[in-house]
Amino acid sequence: MNSLRQFVLCLAATFFVPWLCLIVIPHVKMAKAVAPETWVNQDLGTSQSFPPGTPNAFRRGQEIYAAEGCASCHTQMIRPTYLGLESWRPGFGKEGTIEAPVRTRETVPGDYAGERFAYLGVQRIGPDLSNAGYRHDAAWHHAHLYEPTSVRGFSTMGSFRHLYIKRKIRGQRSADALELSGEFDPGEGYEVVPSETAKALVSYLMTLKKDSPLPPATTPIDASQDAGEDVKKG
Amino acid sequence: MPEDNPADEDVLHRAAIDRSVRLPVLFFFTSAAAWLAVSVVLGFIQSMKLHSPGFLDFPCLHFLQYGRSNPAFMGALVYGWAIQAGLGVCIWLMARLCRAEIKNPITLIVAGHFWNIGVLLGVLGIFTGHSTSIEWLAFPKAVWPILFVAYSLVVVWLFTLFQRRKPGEVYISVLYILGACLWFPWIYLTANVFIHVLPGSPIAKAATSAWYLGSMTYLVLAPMALASAYYFIPKILGRPIYSSYLSTLGFWGLAIVGGWTGIQKFMGGPLPAWMPAVSGAAVIFAIIPVCAIAVNHHMTLRGQHKLIESSPTMRFTAVGAAAFTFYCVFSALNAFYPLGALTQLSQTTMAFQLLAVYGFFSMCMFGAIYFIVPRLVGCEWVSGRRIRFHFWFSTYGMISLVAVHFLGGLWQSHAYAQFDVPLENAISAGRPYAIGASVAWVFIIASNVMFLYHLSLMVFRLGRKSEQPAMIGHADHTG
Ligand code: HEC
Repeated sequence: MNSLRQFVLCLAATFFVPWLCLIVIPHVKMAKAVAPETWVNQDLGTSQSFPPGTPNAFRRGQEIYAAEGCASCHTQMIRPTYLGLESWRPGFGKEGTIEAPVRTRETVPGDYAGERFAYLGVQRIGPDLSNAGYRHDAAWHHAHLYEPTSVRGFSTMGSFRHLYIKRKIRGQRSADALELSGEFDPGEGYEVVPSETAKALVSYLMTLKKDSPLPPATTPIDASQDAGEDVKKG
Repeated sequence: MPEDNPADEDVLHRAAIDRSVRLPVLFFFTSAAAWLAVSVVLGFIQSMKLHSPGFLDFPCLHFLQYGRSNPAFMGALVYGWAIQAGLGVCIWLMARLCRAEIKNPITLIVAGHFWNIGVLLGVLGIFTGHSTSIEWLAFPKAVWPILFVAYSLVVVWLFTLFQRRKPGEVYISVLYILGACLWFPWIYLTANVFIHVLPGSPIAKAATSAWYLGSMTYLVLAPMALASAYYFIPKILGRPIYSSYLSTLGFWGLAIVGGWTGIQKFMGGPLPAWMPAVSGAAVIFAIIPVCAIAVNHHMTLRGQHKLIESSPTMRFTAVGAAAFTFYCVFSALNAFYPLGALTQLSQTTMAFQLLAVYGFFSMCMFGAIYFIVPRLVGCEWVSGRRIRFHFWFSTYGMISLVAVHFLGGLWQSHAYAQFDVPLENAISAGRPYAIGASVAWVFIIASNVMFLYHLSLMVFRLGRKSEQPAMIGHADHTG
């Protein structure tokens, strides 16, 4: 390479192409694609739209999800069946039996509309949380976050006790105090209540239902019924 | 081309150059080493937390839970240790290869301080609950401008030095250094602006973060480490690189495919399907330049493999270069569905990142540090045995760490794929491997404690005052 300028230009040219194609163009194109689509559901006779929109609890909750690093252990991405059968297992909230599972669909871009960042995830130390909202109620989540082994003996998830407040009961026991038993019982006269942070996090978890119906044209073929045609659309 | 000209004048000139870069290069090396110490300790803690969350589980230490210690560990390793060690090596190589004494080391020292402050704020930010949970970009949002400005200062400085070079052909290492100089600010700025500053599609942001990992590995870490390998292999052998054609091919090949990599991580994910597909193809095509580089190194070494045994620099560099080839081949295999489906969302991710940052990059940096530091401080490494200890514990530690995470990931994904068995099976499948990883971490900690102790002896000028370099075998080389 004879001159520095020539070298820098070549280098910039080689890098500019992927930069444009993988970063700039997708950002510009996808930024536009968030307008919800509305249609009438023939079966129910109601009007539906997708993306369905996210409740207010969402943003704060997702910030805590990030700050606590939940995304280091949990994913939020359901892959098509040719990559893994991860959209259903017993106890995954949706009905169904092993013979006839009711699968949640694979995730599509609209599922993440309104999020600050799509935490697709790194590795599955714990189960996928895209549809965690179907699986448990808020009280279960609180007990689980406070001490995971109190509800799942085999858990290797760390405790998030610092999001909870242990205090003396004054007068009445608080309505939102955690139901803990055995070794996790805070003791006579004490109670464990969730902080605002924990409440926001759990309301966020309860909203995780990345399974709302898609507009008719883009509904992926139901893989559980026809495993031969795992075509990914969208 | 690094050539040994025995003329006295040349030796004196080299010594003068070494003297002029001593301050900034030692600054980067020592702060990198301090971060290495932090990161191996954090690495062990996060590894323990992965299988036994009860480890160090005191109320006052709640911030050590995996979700915070893992990003903090990665941040300390990549930005604290890797990039700083890389910059130290680049500065030294640049001064040597441009045959110019440096002026104005203060710029570098200032930039280095800013960089360290940035990394410190980042790591503390993660621990105090301001992490963004984005891989390799987990530092709180406010930190990236500091790191960006600090790195840019070093870039400007390196370019100025390049402009003052003595006329002559530009050696391949210089191309790699200039490449890393340009690519890092571009990649880092792009990732941070698109993810943290601009509003926009969350999915496009996720794709950008995956791209960031790929580009950082192929276009920042790889060039820095290859610059060092391309310098030290011929230097120690005392013969030129086998083929300058292959060198050029390797460089431009990497430059062309590097920026396309990364997004294969999310294949099958909710992105437009062409994005992971293109990245997957790029990772496969990367095999071409990587083979060119590997063949070139190998042919340069032919008949001289004994030197790998005797020279510490050669040993570390050879293992690092081999790890690079291995990394690229495995990344390419992972771009295919049958394997990729099992590895993409499992512990294997950790295996790959550690292989790149520790197995490849850090090993090359250790090699370079073993060569450079004695020439800066004017004394020799105290004992060959300590170097051997560092080498073997690092190598075995790394191989076992990568192997257990890799196999653990496969096994774990396999268990998740069996949807008709209880969740417990899937969760506990990865656990034995995580325990294995913690054992491997003990080896890595041991090796680095030795390294840091040895390095601090050198920095405090307690090394051997000898004309003979510390060899771990019988051959000889001078520089
Ligand atoms: C060390 C990795 C790790 C981290 C960090 C982590 N988890 Fe978990 N998580 C697990 C494991 C393992 C399980 C499965 C066992 C269990 O249910 O406890 C799990 C299970 C869960 C479940 C139950 C899922 C189901 O299908 O029943 C929820 C909900 C959950 N985690 C939420 C979170 C939240 C919220 C955070 C962040 C505050 C978090 N996790 C952080 C490892 C982790």
